[in-house]
Order: sequence, then structure tokens, then C-alpha cells
Amino acid sequence: MRYEVTLDDRLVRIEIGDRGRFSVDDRVVAADVRETVRGRQWSITLEGESHEITVITHDPLRLDVDGRDVRAAVVDERALRAGRGTAGLRAGRVELRAPMPGLLKAVHVKEGDRVEAQAPLATLEAMKMENELRAPSSGRIAKVAAAAGAKVDAGAVLIVIASD
Amino acid sequence: MLVANRGEIALRIIRACHDLGVRAIAVYSDVDRDALHVRAADAAYPIGAAAPRESYLNGARIIEVARRSGASAIHPGYGFLSENADFAQAVADAGLVFVGPPAAVQRLLGEKTAARRLAREADVPIAEGTEPLTDVAAAKAAAKRIGYPVLLKPAGGGGGKGMRKVAKEEEFDTAWRAATGEATTAFGQPALYLERAIENARHVEMQILADQSGNVVWLGERDCSVQRRHQKLIEETPGPSVDDELRERLGVAAVRIAKAAHYENAGTVEFLVDARGNVYFLEVNTRLQVEHPLTEMVTGLDLVALQLRIAAGERLPFAQGDVVRSGAAIECRITAEDPYAGFLPGSGVIALVREPAGPGIRVDSALYPGMTVPNEYDPLLAKVIAHGRDRAEAVARMRRALAEMRVSGIPTSLPFHRFALSDESFSAGRYDTTFVAQWEGRAAPELSAGAASVAALAAVLAMRARSERRALPVTDPAWARAAREDALR
Repeated sequence: MRYEVTLDDRLVRIEIGDRGRFSVDDRVVAADVRETVRGRQWSITLEGESHEITVITHDPLRLDVDGRDVRAAVVDERALRAGRGTAGLRAGRVELRAPMPGLLKAVHVKEGDRVEAQAPLATLEAMKMENELRAPSSGRIAKVAAAAGAKVDAGAVLIVIASD
Repeated sequence: MLVANRGEIALRIIRACHDLGVRAIAVYSDVDRDALHVRAADAAYPIGAAAPRESYLNGARIIEVARRSGASAIHPGYGFLSENADFAQAVADAGLVFVGPPAAVQRLLGEKTAARRLAREADVPIAEGTEPLTDVAAAKAAAKRIGYPVLLKPAGGGGGKGMRKVAKEEEFDTAWRAATGEATTAFGQPALYLERAIENARHVEMQILADQSGNVVWLGERDCSVQRRHQKLIEETPGPSVDDELRERLGVAAVRIAKAAHYENAGTVEFLVDARGNVYFLEVNTRLQVEHPLTEMVTGLDLVALQLRIAAGERLPFAQGDVVRSGAAIECRITAEDPYAGFLPGSGVIALVREPAGPGIRVDSALYPGMTVPNEYDPLLAKVIAHGRDRAEAVARMRRALAEMRVSGIPTSLPFHRFALSDESFSAGRYDTTFVAQWEGRAAPELSAGAASVAALAAVLAMRARSERRALPVTDPAWARAAREDALR
């Protein structure tokens, strides 16, 4: 069975054959896979290197990979054939979401502005602190979805960037 | 003993109680019912809604619980009610013992400009500064006289909250407005005072213990120069630039201030030390500090147990000459903040916790798998403390411990701490309060090819495991989930 896996913004092709044979990007690899917690955690040695992967959430799929938080999307062979395309994480459109509930003190940009990555976009007050929310990528501001003075919930889309 | 706090410090105090054979009573807000401090205590009582004002800051409710539960003393921990003189007074008025300095001492030292006057009278140097000010024009004139850069500090309290550095006059009005607002929120009064900013200074604090008979000892310094927005991220002892002569000078100054204030119980006297070794008194923290384990590691003393003994009226069981410091210790504060996003605090569910162990490592933590990190409180999750025969050994052990540690599900400060401990200037002990600026703007490194391969493999296995489970007509009972989560520890 063949799969296409997107990890953050990189694509990896996986094939799982019989008797635990794996190939990664069409190359057969010597991977020893042990399931250490059923359906949730694996210890994998690959070419002598020891890795540990734990499921953080299933939907959306998030993995802890050697201490790193990685977003993953898996598309299997059938879906690939059905033309659903590669597992994309909606490249080209980057949302700035409220990382926590709070009061939006200020929005520093307006629709149409060009921003560089890490540019301050808005100020969110939470936990008695004012936090600068920065652009996750460079691009053009496609939408400002919340106004200064608004109380926002965690996860609320604040600003949408059409990324470069 | 009623422990009027939450998180790792509540657990720390409960442990000291149990070491002394004292029954420990926990209190908890609605979102902390499952917290470890509730489970570790002998008894536990709800005190209200998640918002601190409704629960951990609700002094009247806490005193009522103490009375009803048969407690004879209250330990406030740090934060919350620990430096609230009115609370200390109310505890005493209720016929209970407050573990900490009495209300009058707290009042005196809590008013930061009064503390500065006290230091001056005790012949301890202070940075040039002003009395409390509420008028922006007068403040601006004072800033001009002192010379930029200046610090705006709330007169009503410390801990870095509401503090602002102003580099030049044009920035003064904006900074004044912001600092006044934060001071009002944090301490209930807008008054600020100005202090000359000491550039490239090290933030050094001296631990003291004072009993009710007037005996005061100093136990050694802690260096807290790795800070962000005046909040500490890494602390260590001994201070990398503190020699025996300076240590003695800081210790003697701290004892002099404590005696002048008729201090009781554990406390910390904070100083700035400039590049030429000049010492400036900053403030006294009239509570147990977050970083107290550093002093415990090098002295072998249990500060919390000593706090309880002092509060019970016992005399200090040792004199200044009996205090022996051995080796070096470092503490990393692991917080629920994303170092790749300007240390933005976050909340969410912890999926995996693996705490480091092994020689010289201590972890004070309230983490458990499945824990929902609430967003109502301080983002501190755990403290990792490393002790070694010397600084190099402590640094090596800390580096190893941080590599071992896993906290996943929410962003944590771990990547920053790993960076700091592998940084050459930190390893060499050459760093100051501007160290964190070297980190800002960094992005998470790319996954290695090997890690990406195994991650992709695991992603497929996770998806298949899930669809197989979905196909099975069994439920997922809570006990099985708990057992699985336990296995993840």
C-alpha cells in the first residue's frame, strides 16, 4: 500500500509492503518498528538511529517526533487514484489564529498590506500580558477577520495572509 | 498545613509537610480538580471558579476552608497571596499561623520606595531613583535629571510586572501609560517610581532565613540574568561572576536589610551588580522564590521545611558559620510558552510527559499526561534543576536532562532552554540580561531526513490504527485510556 504523507510543508512517499518492508521515497529502508503504546506510540530505529514518535492528536493528525511537534496529513493510494491530489496543508493561504482566548488590543495591518515573516500583526492581551502576534510567513494581508477591542476565543482566525 | 497555591509549588510544600509528618490540605479551583497537588494532599477542598480572584486570590474563602478543615497554618507559596499583607494579617487575626513574614514586614518591604529608604538607612547602596509618582510631567522631569535609560517600576509591587525600560524621552509617554495600566491591574495602584537603568548588569539575589528570635543567616546567591520581559527563564548558583568577596558583601548587605526590617522566615534580597562590581539594592521578595531549589541543591537544606519550623517558633538550627555550599546548580523554568512565537503563552492538553532523572537532576513539576493546561494562571509547568560538583558538570547534566525531557501537546520553552545550554557564551558564564535577545527571531529547525522518514511512517501507522479501531465494535473505556496514558509517562 502506498501513501503520500505531508509533514508540515514537506512531502514523503511511504510504501508498506508485506512482512514489515518499508520504503521511503521509493527507497527500501531498514526500519525496525515497535509499537510501544497501541495505536499511539512507536519506537523506530532507522539505519541505526533511534527515534520515538507519539500521537498528540488524531484529528488533525499531530505527532511528537523526537520532541518536535509535527503536523501530518496522510493520503492513501485509493484516494490518490481518485484524484484527491496530494495531501496539502492549504499552501498559499496562511491563517493567523488566536493562540489563546484574550482581548485583541490592536491590529497593526489592513487588508492589502504587504508583510514580512515575523512582522507584528496584532496585539493580544491574555494572562495579564500583552502579546505581539507575528506573521507566520511573508505575503499580502488577504483578510482582517477581527477588529481591535474584540474578545477572541482560542483558535479564532484573526488575519489571513496570502503567502508568497 | 493548608497550602494556598497550585501547580508545582503546591506539590513542593505538600512534600515538605509530609517529610515533617504534617497533614497537608490542598485547595483547588474548578479547573484544577484533577491536578497533582489535589491528589498528593491528605485532604482537598474546592475554593471557586478558575479566575484567580474567585479562587487562589480569594483570601476570605481560603481562611474559611482552613478553619473548617482544622488547619493551624497556611503556606501561601509564591505568587497569588504570598505577598499580600492584608491576607497575612487576616490569617493572623483568624488565629492561624502564616508561613512567611508578618503583615507589617510585608507592608514595609512591599512598598518598593520605602524598601529603598530602608536600604539607604542600613548603608546599602541603591540605584539613583525617585519616590512614587503619579504625574507624568514630574516623572519626565525626574527622568531627565537621572538620565536615560530609566526604568519605570510600580511602587506597589515587584516581580517585573508593569516594569518598563525607557531609552529616550520620545518613548516616555507611551511607556508611562502602559506601565501605569499594568501596575493598576497587577497591584491595584497606579503609582510608579523611576530608577536609573543599570546597563549590562547582572541580576543577583541573596537567600536569607530569619527566625522569630532575630537570628538571620544568608545562604548564598542566585543569578537570574537569563530573563525575558523581566521574567526569569534560567537561574543558577553560584553566580558566574560572583567571587567569595562579592558573595560575602551581598550576604552581609542582605542580612543588614533583613535585620533593619525585623524580617522573619525565608526571603530574598535582590541586587544588581554592574560590570565594575558595584552593588545596587533592588528589592526584597517576602516569599519563597520559584528558584529556591538552587539553594537547596548546593546547601543540602530544605528551605520549605525550615520555613515551617520558623513559623512554628523554632530557632534556626544552625549559625552562619555552619552553612556550607557545595558545587553548582542550574534551574530551567519550563513554561507553556512558544519560544518560536515570541514566547506566546499557550494552553491545551498535554499528550506526553517524560521527565528527566539520573545523577544530579531534580524535577519539580505538576505535569501529567492528559493534563489540560489552563490559561488562567502563570505558564510555569515544571522546573528542571541540575546539580554538579562544578558549573561545567551542572551544565552538562542540564543539557542531557533537557534532551531527555518530553512535554508534547502544547508548545513549551524547551527549545529555548536547549539552545541556551548549548550556547557558548552561556557555557562560559559570559551572559547578562540581554541574552534572550540572541534567540529571538529563530525558527524551528527542519526535521532531519531520518526523522521525517520515521514520522511519515508513524503517520501512516497512526492512521491505520485509528481506522482499524473504528472498525471494531468496542468502546474506549476510561480506565483503559488512563492506563494507556500512564504507560506514556
